Amino acid sequence: MERILRVNMTSRTAAFEPMPEAYRNRAGRWLTSSIVHDEVPPTCHPLGPNNKVVFSPGIVTGTASPTSSRISVGGKSPLTGGIKESNAGTGWGRRLARLGIRAIVVEGQPKEKGFWLLKVNARGAELEPADAWTGKRLSEIYPALLTRFGGKEKVNVCAIGVAGEFRMAAAGICFNDQEGRPSRYAGRGGLGAVLGSKGLKAIVVDDSGAKEIPLADKAQFDQGRKKLGAALGAHAITKPKGALNSYGTAVLVNILNEAGGLPTHNFREGRFEGAAKIAGEAIFAGNKERTGAEVYNHACSPGCVIRCSNTWHRSNGSEHTSCIEYESDWAFGANCGIDDLDQIAELNLLCNDYGLDTIETGGTLAVAADGGLWRFGDGKRAIELLHEIGQGTPLGRILGNGAVVTGRAFGVTRVPHVKGQNMPAYEPRAVKGIGMTYAVSTMGADHTSGYTIAPEILGVSGKLDPLNPDKADLARNFQYATAFIDSTGHCLFIAFAILDIASGFEGTVEECNGVLGTKWTMDDVARIGKEVLDLERDFNRKAGFTALDDRLPEFMRTEPLPPHDTVWDIADREIDRVFAS
Amino acid sequence: MNIEVRLHGTLIAARPGLRAGDPFTVTIRDGASVASLAAELSLAPADIHLAIVNGRVVYDRDVPLATGDRVGLFPPVGGG
Repeated sequence: MERILRVNMTSRTAAFEPMPEAYRNRAGRWLTSSIVHDEVPPTCHPLGPNNKVVFSPGIVTGTASPTSSRISVGGKSPLTGGIKESNAGTGWGRRLARLGIRAIVVEGQPKEKGFWLLKVNARGAELEPADAWTGKRLSEIYPALLTRFGGKEKVNVCAIGVAGEFRMAAAGICFNDQEGRPSRYAGRGGLGAVLGSKGLKAIVVDDSGAKEIPLADKAQFDQGRKKLGAALGAHAITKPKGALNSYGTAVLVNILNEAGGLPTHNFREGRFEGAAKIAGEAIFAGNKERTGAEVYNHACSPGCVIRCSNTWHRSNGSEHTSCIEYESDWAFGANCGIDDLDQIAELNLLCNDYGLDTIETGGTLAVAADGGLWRFGDGKRAIELLHEIGQGTPLGRILGNGAVVTGRAFGVTRVPHVKGQNMPAYEPRAVKGIGMTYAVSTMGADHTSGYTIAPEILGVSGKLDPLNPDKADLARNFQYATAFIDSTGHCLFIAFAILDIASGFEGTVEECNGVLGTKWTMDDVARIGKEVLDLERDFNRKAGFTALDDRLPEFMRTEPLPPHDTVWDIADREIDRVFAS
Repeated sequence: MNIEVRLHGTLIAARPGLRAGDPFTVTIRDGASVASLAAELSLAPADIHLAIVNGRVVYDRDVPLATGDRVGLFPPVGGG
């Protein structure tokens, strides 16, 4: 039976409700954004009692479908002041789905100080005091939490770090990977702070005794998952020992650098001199040298066939951190002018341990460098600053609240953000379609809203000139397709394969039909995606956002970006056209 | 003419000892194309997904190069 688990932190009670009929086919981002839209007052304080944090596994999460273990997390963002959906790859949502729980809604706020832990299993859900787990690094408490509740084979843990306890706007929500590492993040937008504001430190899910997920049409489901699996296995990017499995997402460093779109020194240049030293290929080569063997990447979650999560090893061969994603590598690397993988790895590890979004944190450090707090490239000092965040010092409180707050505190005008969220690792002046996406995304600057990099740079699902400004239709269509994929529970990386291999896309729709008993066709993909975006846009409108918030920062219009020496030259009316039709 | 070349991903196997993204110079006949450069480097055309010439993504392998061009060659790559 499909249920919603509602957790009231004011009364500290947890109760199950039947799925409302209106939400019958909704899951993942479609459901989290629906519940946030329908239940959260858009003008509420993000850290007050009226905000909510909603978790939902996707439509096919928990089934035998490949690469489908994403958990969607939603709420009102303390970073942007708008709606937020951030998702992560982890077995946590898979267990939730197998328990028949389509969503957890965390609401209210305790009057007492303190933190609690929510246990969810086949018998029900209950809260217990969690103060003993607070104030510590996540790599310290995750092994203990996993052991206490039966081991990583039996349970998954979701928790906030000290950054969430401090209610910092750069705080993410952490889930463990298959090895138990606290490394898989719903990182963006500060949802960790929202959970912290509710005094909820952790949610442990145990699916022992759960039944298989019922399928409305098993033949249709099997046909779909096989078509998708075949596409993922065949495509050069997603196949075993393909680009993602060998080099991880950081394989993008070199290509963005060559294309002049790798933001460097707080978005001052489009190329980084040290790019080759921090790229995915350098991680692969460094691991080989340090461990004596080729280290191929692993899956962040059960059932993933792409397996793109890397590890980085110390000079003695021991593991330093996992995973150095492209975004994290870039945020601490090129954007901070640091070309030392050991220092980047340490910064990555500290974010995982303190509970921070690496993109916002790296972006904040870069803004702080412009504010005179440290010198670009001084990795040792960057590590010290990250400890300030973890210790919650007054300076750390400023940095932990993100790039905009830090820019304001130190009088910096060069703050590359949209709607308060720092830009990720693609330069809008060199890649216009991603700039359009940053501008109009309901999430603030977010590459995962619509990954136009695929056709603009990577030659996947089309071959477009990144400098051509005619990208309004592209930005819209990619956002619709993405909102659909985010609702299925699939990792967005299936898009590399299914946008090039049509049968893979058909299979993705057929799987959903197999689970839900729907008759969706390819036409429903854009319809559902639009519905999700319309809900999110409506929330943001009611929260006070207007077209004037769909703009890139002023300096990008006036400062030419080397090597192309181009500025952000897309007319406002062209941006406003993205969702006008 | 001299071309400044960078190989990426699996293509670096064609230049043992070099790191992906490290530049090296290839001397080739004037007006040679990306395709001829790849042949000069003993790279199979099917292994190259795209070329970036002076920061611009180039899909047409037959466009002639000019001396001093910066050329990056890539197998299929993705991420996010």
